Amino acid sequence: MTNDTDDSAKKAKRKPTEGANAPPVEEGAAAPPPESPPEPKTEASERPAGEALPLDGARVIDVGTFLAGPYAATILGEYGAEVLKVEHPIAGDPMRRFGTPTKRHDATLAWLSEARNKKSVTIDLRQTGGVELFIKLAAKSDVLVENFRPGTMEAWGLGWDVLREANPGLVMLRVTGYGQTGPYRSRSGFSHIAHAMGGLSYLAGFPGETPVVPATTPLGDYISGLYGAIGVMLALRHKEKTGRGQIIDIGIYEAVFRQLDEIAASYGLFGKVREREGWGSFVAVPHGHFRTKDDKWVAIACTTDKMFERLSEAMERPELASHTLFGEQRKRLAARDEVNKIVIDWVLSLTRKEVMDRCLTNQVPIGKMNSIADIFADEHFRARGNLAEVSEDGLGTVVVPGVVPTLSATPGRIKNLGPALGNATYEVMRELLGLTADEISRLRQSRII
Amino acid sequence: MTTAPELPLKGIRVIDVATVIAAPYCAAILGEFGADVLKVEHPIGGDACRRFGTPTSRGDTLTWMSEARNKRSVTIDLHRPEGVAVFKQLASKADVICENFRPGTLEKWGIGWQVLHELNPSLIMLRVSGYGQDGPYKNRPGFARIAHAVGGFAYLSGMPKGTPVTPGSTTLGDYMSGLYGCIGVLLALRWRDQTGEGQYIDTALYESVFRCTDELAPAYAMYGTVRERHGPTHNEFTCPHGHFPTKDGKWVAIACPTDKTFERLTLAMGRPELASSSLYGDEKTRLENRADVNEIVRDWCGSLKREELLEKCYAAGAPAGPLNTIADIFGDRQFHSRRNLVAVDVGDIGETVIVPNVLPRLSETPGRIDTLGPRLGEHTEEVLKDLLGMSEAEIGTLKEKRVI
Repeated sequence: MTNDTDDSAKKAKRKPTEGANAPPVEEGAAAPPPESPPEPKTEASERPAGEALPLDGARVIDVGTFLAGPYAATILGEYGAEVLKVEHPIAGDPMRRFGTPTKRHDATLAWLSEARNKKSVTIDLRQTGGVELFIKLAAKSDVLVENFRPGTMEAWGLGWDVLREANPGLVMLRVTGYGQTGPYRSRSGFSHIAHAMGGLSYLAGFPGETPVVPATTPLGDYISGLYGAIGVMLALRHKEKTGRGQIIDIGIYEAVFRQLDEIAASYGLFGKVREREGWGSFVAVPHGHFRTKDDKWVAIACTTDKMFERLSEAMERPELASHTLFGEQRKRLAARDEVNKIVIDWVLSLTRKEVMDRCLTNQVPIGKMNSIADIFADEHFRARGNLAEVSEDGLGTVVVPGVVPTLSATPGRIKNLGPALGNATYEVMRELLGLTADEISRLRQSRII
Repeated sequence: MTTAPELPLKGIRVIDVATVIAAPYCAAILGEFGADVLKVEHPIGGDACRRFGTPTSRGDTLTWMSEARNKRSVTIDLHRPEGVAVFKQLASKADVICENFRPGTLEKWGIGWQVLHELNPSLIMLRVSGYGQDGPYKNRPGFARIAHAVGGFAYLSGMPKGTPVTPGSTTLGDYMSGLYGCIGVLLALRWRDQTGEGQYIDTALYESVFRCTDELAPAYAMYGTVRERHGPTHNEFTCPHGHFPTKDGKWVAIACPTDKTFERLTLAMGRPELASSSLYGDEKTRLENRADVNEIVRDWCGSLKREELLEKCYAAGAPAGPLNTIADIFGDRQFHSRRNLVAVDVGDIGETVIVPNVLPRLSETPGRIDTLGPRLGEHTEEVLKDLLGMSEAEIGTLKEKRVI
């Protein structure tokens, strides 16, 4: 197999949105995406991409709801694991109703995107027959993902002792608002609460004003899903060496807290309480968000003196970076209002395109503050395949974020979007658990599946 | 007392030649779970992370102390051919390399992927950059602040129509990219164990941000919806769901994503009638009367001190929590009970540094923090001697020439 073939196979998986039924966009929509430079040739992949994946053969049961645990299962599925989404037979995962509805009555857009690659199996865990089926399923799986409040699985007779007896090698990922231990473990937790609890929300907004939500997305759910996937991969490695499974226990609040660089260390050592920084930064100047003449926004980040020197060149005011003026971060921090005003005025005197061009020519770190409309018009997102198009029966093309990260030999893939409720129940009961058609129909009649 | 089982990454050697936080955070996690992490730094100044944030009495900052945990520092000047030669020797004995230079930098030094892959075919290489290894913007400088803007977070943070603000932390995108990178490395290690083949992982700061934007992309593609800043409100699908000030000038977050959770909130408020079907029992009705519902909740929050209010919410099972400052966090029983804060003695600065503990928490093979950030070049000699088998004389020559 040649490398060229490999590259084309990879490209096919990372299809840009060209030709999608995307609505008109604000700017630059007419410009076709430029040819992306050829991808670096790599000898890493002698086989066609996508033929085999690192988690082929691994089976994951995802009995979680919404996103926090399930996002870990989503990632495992992108890299080859078979993910069985176990849901209640009547309503299924409430994520199916969260967000913007589609023509499919059992799927919002959020469900379609984040339940990608999963198969749906309905089992009622509140019935003894359902619990028995679930234990059989766990016995044939490698990973179990759950995010009920601590004690719920135990109340159903599905605690760790039971599951471990059924399958000593099982890896169990447990994600909850506060973790399995500690005084708050029984409280209900959502990512929004976890952002607050973990210290992130307090920091978003203007000093002394209303704290705003950081970015409106369920960030804590995603981040705890990332830690979850890391935990599962580590535990699978341990299992392969020793045959022993284990539990990964994550509180969403602690995943959020882990993102906050030196906030704990500087409070611990110097008693410093970090406050909201508004659009700027307390450690570097200029470093923040600036409005342009055409009422758009850019982010500029002069983390170092070198970057400020480049900015002052882009502004055609190189004297600003001299030692007598603002050449050193220390001096810029001391004169932050003055320095910021110079940059604010300069950015406001130019259109976004002009500011971007001048800064980029001088290698100043700058970026457009993209709305989703801007993102769809952005050539780089297209070139990197960040917007994946997936055809879905009855819905046409659905555009979802592509797989991250990109692996050169074994790139992940999106085979299907969020499944219909129970689409794999029969298959799993019949083929995996070896039930007869009669048994399956009896289970259906008693609404166990 | 049984001895703890071997950590899952024991025997794995990682070279962290990256700077600041993004790829280094991946290496930090690998180190927490048993990998031997060699931090390769420039002999003069070292990793810029040593200067990022609040300095300790030793000069190295607290961010460095925390995020270079468990690492060993080896100085090599990669701008010099002799340095490149030493680096190649290290790479031939490594399992993983983490780097986050601008694309083309390692290639310029003669240690790009092709060279390293030829040298060590089972090597795994994590490449994190602002925009990734390909695409039109690949050569642009990138920092997390820029990635938050490009990936969509910054546009969504702030009051409606107001100035977009930092989404809580300027380093968020760095950490998230480290997490994605770590997942990539662990997948690639599994693949290598199965096939013997190495590969590289190519990830971009802005992509990590964009991947975490729920249905932003499909909703725009299907309905043309452009999400705007929501201020203190979490999303447009549920109500009440946001930040509310309390009587004592503090803030709480309240989240009612379902009718059930709203019912519990009304119990906490002592006003169960609000959850009746004739009033605001249905999500649909609450969304139609969003301003009224928010005002009722805001008035109630404003009438109580934060602790009183939260006790009522917890008792009724309504999802609520404090907007914690770091001072609140240090006083929080849950953080202490789960040992989220760990104090590590740093002998050579005579100080105890408190850092966030290892995540995630594994029951059989929990990760560990043996040491915090090393001094620049602290381990150069031991690594060159023990790992590469260099003689004192060879090391002396490299030192004289300032290659190491």
